[in-house]
Amino acid sequence: MKMTGPLVTLSAIRKEFGSVVANDDVSVEIGGGEVLALLGENGAGKSTLMKILYGFYQPDGGTIHINGLPAAFNSPRDAMARGIGMVFQQFSLVPALSVLENLLAALPHAPWLQRRGSPRVSEALRWLDQLAPTLDPHRPVRNLSVGERQLVELAKVLNLDARVVILDEPTSVLTPDETERLYGFIKTLATEGKAVVLITHKLADIAACADRIVVMRGGRVVDRAAARDRSAEDLVEAMVGRGSMGSLPSPKPPSGDVPMLQVQGISAEVQGRTIREISFELTAGEILGIAGVSGNGQFALAEALAGLTPVTHGDVVLASVSIAGHSEDGGIADEVAYIPERPRDNAIVAELDLSLNLALRNARDLPFFPARRDIDGRARALIAAYDVRPPQPSLPAIALSGGNLQKLVIARELSGRPRLVIACYPTMGLDVAAAQAVYREIFRHAAAGACVVWISEDLDDLMSYAHRIAVIHDGRIAGIARRDEADRQILGRWMAGDAAGSA
Amino acid sequence: MSRISRIRFLAACGACVAFLIAATIFLLAIGRPPLTTLAQMAFYAFGDTYSLSESLVKATPILLCALAVILPARLGLITVGGEGQLYFGALAGTAVVVGFPDGPIFLLLPMMLAAGALGGALWSGAAGLLRARCNVNETISTLLMNYVAVLLVNYAVYGAWKDPGSLGWPASIAFPPAATVPSLWGTRVHIGLIVGVIAALILHVGVTYTRWGIALKVLSGNRKVGAMVGFSFMQQTLLVMAIGGALAGFAGICETSAIQGRLQAGLSVGYGLTGFLVAWLSGQNFLRAVPIAILIGGLIAAGDALQLYAKIPSASATILQGLLFVAALGASGLAGRRSARYG
Repeated sequence: MKMTGPLVTLSAIRKEFGSVVANDDVSVEIGGGEVLALLGENGAGKSTLMKILYGFYQPDGGTIHINGLPAAFNSPRDAMARGIGMVFQQFSLVPALSVLENLLAALPHAPWLQRRGSPRVSEALRWLDQLAPTLDPHRPVRNLSVGERQLVELAKVLNLDARVVILDEPTSVLTPDETERLYGFIKTLATEGKAVVLITHKLADIAACADRIVVMRGGRVVDRAAARDRSAEDLVEAMVGRGSMGSLPSPKPPSGDVPMLQVQGISAEVQGRTIREISFELTAGEILGIAGVSGNGQFALAEALAGLTPVTHGDVVLASVSIAGHSEDGGIADEVAYIPERPRDNAIVAELDLSLNLALRNARDLPFFPARRDIDGRARALIAAYDVRPPQPSLPAIALSGGNLQKLVIARELSGRPRLVIACYPTMGLDVAAAQAVYREIFRHAAAGACVVWISEDLDDLMSYAHRIAVIHDGRIAGIARRDEADRQILGRWMAGDAAGSA
Repeated sequence: MSRISRIRFLAACGACVAFLIAATIFLLAIGRPPLTTLAQMAFYAFGDTYSLSESLVKATPILLCALAVILPARLGLITVGGEGQLYFGALAGTAVVVGFPDGPIFLLLPMMLAAGALGGALWSGAAGLLRARCNVNETISTLLMNYVAVLLVNYAVYGAWKDPGSLGWPASIAFPPAATVPSLWGTRVHIGLIVGVIAALILHVGVTYTRWGIALKVLSGNRKVGAMVGFSFMQQTLLVMAIGGALAGFAGICETSAIQGRLQAGLSVGYGLTGFLVAWLSGQNFLRAVPIAILIGGLIAAGDALQLYAKIPSASATILQGLLFVAALGASGLAGRRSARYG
């Protein structure tokens, strides 16, 4: 780590949204060649601060200096011209275009013609080849997994010769492999003299690659230190501000031994990804974690279990009743709660208000003339119980941030009495406290006798809380292990494609 | 919210001003005194009972065709098939009259109206089925089916259904009194208008306050989520297309029976397309479509009257109508962008 005066200095930044103070007297220095972790819960103001640096918002007070010279950015374009790039949680890729086309379009002088082997193409691909060597640049972005999309987004920013690279919660959607590669990559960027700002609420990110930490809470900086000077407990305490939360108690092992959910050799295809002959059984109250590199059929599995995609073979039986889908239009069974990945696309209607989005779970059972007051009242209660912010039932769902959208979906799906919970990346975009609240909610249903299928890429969480862990690879179950038998080596081998039998 | 409604109001005023300026320029260019001519137009549209009744006569099929566009639009479908549905409804209704010209009124009239609505529903439902099952773009299919329906009517009135007593004029037999849609208040205004207004009210309540309305909103916003909660896009597509087609088909048989008295080629003067424009002017809102349809009906009726009395070519009325549409659509587009900024 070498520092030659700060590259970027943010002094006394203040930003208000209406009556909410998002940033209050925040001063941060970012040096070239260092990795700065900006740590804090959802709504602590870290994204806002970085969006000000990126020219997305204009500060209500305070100054920005770049290389000691004052700077005022009216738009991200201005910021990019001064070498500042940001990768957002919500991606700005065109789904219909291929990876390469997206990268080309983002170049300052996007070419009219796209020729194979042209210098522009290799220029557009130079970072992607390092970030994701196996990703075919001609695949359309809509077929990519979240993790893959993020890497493309990162390549896009790096293509613009950014000197300051801001990453907003980059590892929340990546597999362990991808995460490790990203950590290595971040360190490489820093040794090349770039400044990397890592907006995160994951302590693992900090342990892996941060040089310096700035902790924010409630719009203010509450702690700043070198990464090696702080323990994980210190950081959680600074972030949450009410003493260490400790970890959740592991859910008790399920009591019964009669299978309640029987997945019998199902095959299905969703958006070009297939699953083949997947079988497992869960007893009441059992939590099955599904690990795997993203894009290996997780989405197809979740959709097939939820009955939302027709299965070409096999059956899904919940409490002796088949819930497998047989048509595109079937709808989800009442006793199934489903938290899909990418909730913005898969779980909500963006234009509808929060009330109606919350009422969708049993929309078919609404009276023909639904009482608006009942819908609003129920929504208000759920919004309060699950801490969705801002708590206005009349707001369109599109106005919510990613984390709050996730909470909205969880409020809708987990507020009933499901017998099967299918949760895909349920804590994505949530801070420590909110994530624990979600886990507690899921475990509550398990304790009440529901089967839980929990798709995640967070091996630590899976190994702490799931009763069994299955690994999905190339549309098949590569192996299933009980929690006490699972270790990272075995799971990692399965994730790489070694089946359990041949290991 | 009040800010948005103020923007809407300003947009309406702006549209009027823009229209008046453009109309003045146009009338000056063709050598007509703009103020007098516009005042005459206003008079011939709504000035006395007769003018008003003629305006309502024109407004009736326009309103029904507008409803046939708005309802599918609530599901995110864009149909331009009002014209074809109107023609096919007229054809189907006329089939009943040609088949049983001597039927008693209590049978013939309801059968004829039902057949008209059913014909429109089938014609539109076919496009809906293509969309729901094979993902055929409904805009294209409804557009093309317009030509087919118009030509089918031509085929009927030039061929098998041509009235031998009409001396070669391509038209069906005259509708007997038992197959004549009742008119209102001793004018040419007929019950189609009442049906249109009531349909607009019912549909408004339906999409605003019912579970069905929620289903339409969900499916048009995110079809994936709609399927998840058990709303069927296919079912709803068929339903809205069929209801819309039924209304347009009803307009066709009413126009044939009450206004023209026999089925003939050229039965509609672009009511389907005008209805489409009214639907867009109304912002796909059933209630707003009613006054707008009456306004446009007035403009068309006034154009006819001007041609008769003031010897202004009727094409100028069409041009004025075009100017009004452009002004109104432009203003509402601007208003939409503004209110999106504040909303």
